[in-house]
Amino acid sequence: MLHIRFGDMEKVNYGPSWFKFNYDPKWLEDSFVQKMIEDVDKTKYMGGLVFDSPVLGPIPPEKLSGGVQTLIMIYEKPDLIFDATSCGDNCAKWLLEIGKMKDVTVNLKYIMQFPDDLNIYVDNKGVVVRSFTDYLYCAVDYV
Amino acid sequence: MKGKYHICVQNSRIRYEFDIKRNITIIRGDSASGKTTLFSMIESYNRLGEDSGIEIVSKKECITVNNATWDLILDKHNDSIVFVDEDSPVIKSQEFAEKIKNSGNYYVIITREDLPNLPYSVDEIYGIHKSGKYADTKRIYNEFYNIYSVS
Repeated sequence: MLHIRFGDMEKVNYGPSWFKFNYDPKWLEDSFVQKMIEDVDKTKYMGGLVFDSPVLGPIPPEKLSGGVQTLIMIYEKPDLIFDATSCGDNCAKWLLEIGKMKDVTVNLKYIMQFPDDLNIYVDNKGVVVRSFTDYLYCAVDYV
Repeated sequence: MKGKYHICVQNSRIRYEFDIKRNITIIRGDSASGKTTLFSMIESYNRLGEDSGIEIVSKKECITVNNATWDLILDKHNDSIVFVDEDSPVIKSQEFAEKIKNSGNYYVIITREDLPNLPYSVDEIYGIHKSGKYADTKRIYNEFYNIYSVS
């Protein structure tokens, strides 16, 4: 399940930095990772360490967006807590998808626009929310 | 500084063109919309000038600061447009707010977080999107749009 802790938090990791200095090239071969990259960055995996960006041309993994780098870290390192504030609203559905596969906890310092069909454990309140309205009621108390 | 400043940042692939109207401008929005690329281009231009392969057209100098260097750089600038990326937590500090308050610079801050210490207008919160004005060109043109516009 996806766990969210809203607001300032100690010992939370910054996804883009973690990714740039710690990514494993094998992660890029994962079809789920490739789907996230194609959807968020509109960028296609070409093999090896090369992606084809419609804006930047051929790019290395370090040039992927901070949002998708953070999604990959959350997916690949579920034991660590990352700051999902690096992820825009277009990453929301992928956070939910990751939460269907793994138990992950993320920190969030803004009100991300999730789709209404969600299943999130809000750490601050100790409750599970299953609609965007319930999520919103929890989030506004902290961000 | 007072008034509106038109800024163009470009290389052979991508061009950003926008106006900065107030002393604090916030940029937020979807991942992969080009926020960090804009910051990186200005940062590279700061280090290498025209040798960077980047062109910046602006009446005022555009500079970048980060968490490690912000106070040293801001002490030396009072008439510049200062860009700060989201990986600088200092933007939430009272120290940073005080420095801005006593500064003549304009600030462009990339963040999704609310910054209660800083007096910015909801009208000056922008996203970045591709412009439809130059659809046939090879270069991607990006412009700012007002996220919370009511008009």
